[in-house]
Amino acid sequence: MTYVPVVDPDECSAHGDCVEIAPQVFRLDDTAVVIGVGPDDLIMEAAEACPAVAISVIDQETGETVFP
Amino acid sequence: MDPGVLIVGGGLAGQRCAETLRRRGYEGQVRMLCAEEEPPYDRPPLSKGVLAGSVAEESVGFRPAAWYEENGVELLLGSPAAGLEPGARLVFLADGEPVPYAQLLIASGGEPRRLPFLEGFENVHYLRTLADARRLRTGLAPGARLAIVGAGFIGQEVAATALGLGAEVTMIEAMEVPLAPILGAELGRWFAELHRAEGVRLLTGVLLEGADGSRRVERLQLADGTRVDCDVVVVGIGTVPATGWLSGSGLGERGVEVDASGRTALPGVFAAGDASVPFDHRFRVHARTEHWDAAAWQGAAAALAMLGEQAGAPPLPSFWSDQHGVRIQSVGHPHLGDSVLIEGDPAARDFEAVFVRGGRPVAGLTVGRPRSIPALRKRIEAGHQAAREEEVPA
Repeated sequence: MTYVPVVDPDECSAHGDCVEIAPQVFRLDDTAVVIGVGPDDLIMEAAEACPAVAISVIDQETGETVFP
Repeated sequence: MDPGVLIVGGGLAGQRCAETLRRRGYEGQVRMLCAEEEPPYDRPPLSKGVLAGSVAEESVGFRPAAWYEENGVELLLGSPAAGLEPGARLVFLADGEPVPYAQLLIASGGEPRRLPFLEGFENVHYLRTLADARRLRTGLAPGARLAIVGAGFIGQEVAATALGLGAEVTMIEAMEVPLAPILGAELGRWFAELHRAEGVRLLTGVLLEGADGSRRVERLQLADGTRVDCDVVVVGIGTVPATGWLSGSGLGERGVEVDASGRTALPGVFAAGDASVPFDHRFRVHARTEHWDAAAWQGAAAALAMLGEQAGAPPLPSFWSDQHGVRIQSVGHPHLGDSVLIEGDPAARDFEAVFVRGGRPVAGLTVGRPRSIPALRKRIEAGHQAAREEEVPA
């Protein structure tokens, strides 16, 4: 669990797909917000599912952006 | 008592308006007139997961029932609006009952454009509501012969889903190339090829002329003499604003023109989503948008305007489509492009297309490449910015 998601509030239009995929990680307010941690593959799945591509994923061990 | 905000419509734009009002601290009454019997729900899954049966109907609701209670948003289900008298600030229900408002959001959405000569047949479907999806799904048993009229995005998504359910699919399109007015001929041909490769029988450049059958359509007649035998027909030839109820109110029956914040010409009356025709500040024209993202943004922007706040500039238009296991995403205004640059491998369903006008990118479409969208978005915004700067009068 080294992946950390970051939601860009300017791009998020609150589709809610990430909340469906990883409810322990995301919550839906005006936009999706990050509320917790979760398995790396689940976070990647949520980021890839976002129709607005508003979720970036950072590997906190390396500091690298692994998505998009 | 202050009659508060009345939202006509139980779709995305109306839902976002209600949510934004409450989140920004509005304490007055909020009521939603929903034409359907369902609480507000999300429509994109109707042509995909809901139709396929892989997504439960209950999961498409925007919020659980408790949310509406907790937030004091009153839902009047099965209550389409039937009239508006703006002078008295009243909306009328079908039985003539008046519903007062201080501020009104017109978010009655769109409705499918219909084919008159297919009216009255039991097996002719349009897909707009949950009830429509439910009804269509029962007809899509394995081996069912499905004829789809119109190869736009709805037709294409239904084709992909029906194929997955084991139906035999024929899709009939009047234009030579599907989606050509929006995406251009080159990409339109790519979409046609995608469907043909998956096993859809796609007939293009041919008009539908008539139908055989009494209660049910048994055969469609095409203008070139082709006959298409069918068990089920789906018509997906576009939508029109569902604004007939505004007849006589002074507001457009063919969609309500609004400014970028959703204001109409009438005091206290706003419109958002598919019922509205918003002003596009980038091109200084009123134009329908018909996309999910636009309805979401417009509903929230109208709520802000009701509260005397100003939303930021609207984001670039964007849409997505899921077909045959491929995700297609678009950002910007593809129809404005005068040429298209393709990078990647269209045959492998892995590419991005950049729509260029006068050397500047105006839109991007990706297939199987979500990672490319953020960079495309930045390039398009930069192009618009540069264009604006050049236009500044001396």
